[in-house]
Amino acid sequence: MKNLRRTSQIVFLALFLLLFIQTEYKGSDQLGLPVRLFLDINPLIALSALLATRTVQTVFLLSLVTLATSVVLGRFFCGWICPLGTLNTAVGGLRMRRGKPSPNDGRYPRLRQVKYFILVFILVAAVFGWNAAGLVDPISLTIRSLAIGYNPGLNHIVREALERAYGLGVPGLSPAADALYSALVGTLLAFEQPVFRQMIPIALIFTAILGLNLLAPRFWCRYLCPLGALLGLAGTKQCLARVDVDARTCAKCGACNRTCQGDATPFPAGSWASRECLVCYNCTDVCPVGAVRIHPTTRRTGAGNIDLGRRRLLASGAGALLAVPLVTLGVHRSRAHPELIRPPGALPESEFVKACVKCGACMKVCLTNGLQPTLHQAGLEGVWTPILVPTLGYCEYHCNLCSQVCPTGAIRPLDMKEKQRTKIGLATFDTTRCIPYAYGRNCGVCEEHCPAPGKAIRFRDEEAVSRRGERFVLKKPYVIPQICIGCGICENKCPVVDIPAIRVSPINESRHDDRIYL
Amino acid sequence: MKTTRREFLRLVAAGAAGCLLPARRLTALGQTQPAQPAAFGVARGTDPAAATRAAVDLLGGMQAFVSPGDVVFVKPNMSWDKRPEQAATTNPTVVETVVRMVSEAGAQRIIVADNTCNDARRSYARSGVKEAAERAGAQVPYMEKRRFTRMNLGGKVIQDWDVYRDAVEADVVINVPIAKHHGLSEVTLAMKNMMGLIGGRRDLLHQNLPDSVVDLTAFFKPSLTILDAVRLLKANGPQGSTLGDVVRMDTVAASADPVRIDAFGVTLFEGLLAGAVWTDYPHIVEAQRRGLGTPDFSGEGYREVNLG
Repeated sequence: MKNLRRTSQIVFLALFLLLFIQTEYKGSDQLGLPVRLFLDINPLIALSALLATRTVQTVFLLSLVTLATSVVLGRFFCGWICPLGTLNTAVGGLRMRRGKPSPNDGRYPRLRQVKYFILVFILVAAVFGWNAAGLVDPISLTIRSLAIGYNPGLNHIVREALERAYGLGVPGLSPAADALYSALVGTLLAFEQPVFRQMIPIALIFTAILGLNLLAPRFWCRYLCPLGALLGLAGTKQCLARVDVDARTCAKCGACNRTCQGDATPFPAGSWASRECLVCYNCTDVCPVGAVRIHPTTRRTGAGNIDLGRRRLLASGAGALLAVPLVTLGVHRSRAHPELIRPPGALPESEFVKACVKCGACMKVCLTNGLQPTLHQAGLEGVWTPILVPTLGYCEYHCNLCSQVCPTGAIRPLDMKEKQRTKIGLATFDTTRCIPYAYGRNCGVCEEHCPAPGKAIRFRDEEAVSRRGERFVLKKPYVIPQICIGCGICENKCPVVDIPAIRVSPINESRHDDRIYL
Repeated sequence: MKTTRREFLRLVAAGAAGCLLPARRLTALGQTQPAQPAAFGVARGTDPAAATRAAVDLLGGMQAFVSPGDVVFVKPNMSWDKRPEQAATTNPTVVETVVRMVSEAGAQRIIVADNTCNDARRSYARSGVKEAAERAGAQVPYMEKRRFTRMNLGGKVIQDWDVYRDAVEADVVINVPIAKHHGLSEVTLAMKNMMGLIGGRRDLLHQNLPDSVVDLTAFFKPSLTILDAVRLLKANGPQGSTLGDVVRMDTVAASADPVRIDAFGVTLFEGLLAGAVWTDYPHIVEAQRRGLGTPDFSGEGYREVNLG
């Protein structure tokens, strides 16, 4: 059974990575594959978004499947499906191999409670309007970490290696590198080299989480994971895969406990903790006398589940109650940050931060790499939510991919016509830097690129004389605020590349009535 | 990049030699082609494929420009994420026909590419050019950064610049622009289309577009230019705004001389733009001054067919 479980883990991890790679424009306006699958089946994301936004979305129903499975099978999802769980298993495996299973494996038994406190904290915070789930939800965390933290680096290493090999000009090697490069780009590698703000901290956090497996196997899953806690609670009384140790034949060697991934203590008989069990089948496979069985039974085999303690649970909830007002207090609420350009379809800001789970899928899929994680711009409650950074990438006029991948509707799905009418900001000229205004030379790159029907950037022609004394028509660009949708292509393409002479800010965005001023 | 420069010189020599070639070959093919190949051919007709063929046939057919075994670089405009009917990008049927003719002339390899303004994947797809050119047998790669190489273009404003290597190394470059209005330079025709063969900070060149496009034309020396004026973008160019900016012209023009093409091209905008004579356009004046060709397209060697 252990091998079957391993196969399942590998298959689901492969599926997860495939969908991750496919979270990119592949030549069609609609993404072909259900790239949100792992987010959609995630009850923690659904529940926290539901509590925070108080709106039900049909897509949340999918996560009920996972929840229902857990009710009868326990944390089957953690043991067999979860991609982060699989990565943790793999890293933990490195440690196990070094010197047999370590006797220290169950060394932090009390830490197992922490994940329940985290869960309670998240849910209470959600009720009071702070959706913190995405920060620590394993699927959001993994997608964000891979998209922003790992993917750029991996891409760069492979690209650099192949480009160097191509550039060497060695017969045989260069064409091979060239062919490999062409085969990889747009398939396994991104079409363009991705770059993200906060790449290093986000990568380091994920690396640290993986590294914790060296302290105890599946450290994250055992002690920290709020989704694991939720599924564990749902499966407390699960009846299809209960671990049963036959006390009469048990050799009392404790091998089952030492290989247990979740520290669910099958030994001694009757002490099994259903909420901690990942249904990994290590115990049944390791038992030298075949005394451990996992089988469907309604017989309650002991109560090894940790007593969470009402007081501590209340304290977690109270902590959330204190945290919410603190997190939502900040200058970002007093006045919108000028860099807070949200993707088209984004809900009004207060609703947006409640719905967004910071998974980073929108940033991964963004055609131009313009969507970037926030740090301070949206306050602590909005950390790692997406903003458009026009100097890095603009919003492509005919693209709505970000709204297609958003799991919670924080970015509403817009049809193309509506998307193209949605104002996400307004471009303004800095005439002290703009080439025609400041230096009396023609430029016009912004006007050329403006995609809005009727042109949001137009020219005012002026008679001018060049330094050589030649008369010419100087074209001074200006913005029509009624037409400008704030896509940022003008800022992105402006030849004044450091502080562009035309800049987009979120004023005039259509999602807020009180910010439309023109 | 010393070798590249040497290669370039070799190319120029080969190109010069190539210029002598068609004359010899045409006499051999005299019975199928017009006795006197035109220097400038215009075909009018509602079928873009037929018009494209007719225009090139007036010049003596594609075999006057492409020899068997040649590597041919075809440069359409597929710079924008726009549909063909929006007339921001070269008509896909025109490009497809050009590729077919090049293939029939015996080219061993045909490359079609452009350095786009919008996302390359979207622009290649939505313009319809990628699909059409591939259907006709061309390779349509995206212009990856590593395929650019820095060369000295020896221009008035463009000296050391990143150029697309395949275009420099090709035996023949065929320029297939679309006739469009342009917010800054009033029109974009053959010479401006060469912008899609370079990388780097193209945005800076807008401060002196006329000299820049002449520099590029002088450097890349397209053997043949085929101007797509099946649809013409009369306003809000170079990407257009609404379908109201598009007028149907059903015209294709061809010439080995890009200056003739541009001088002809501006006449298409008669009544649409202030300037409708080539002397109103500094880049044409500059190109003539540098001896890149003659703006007198309607003089000797002008031929026109109307296919209806």
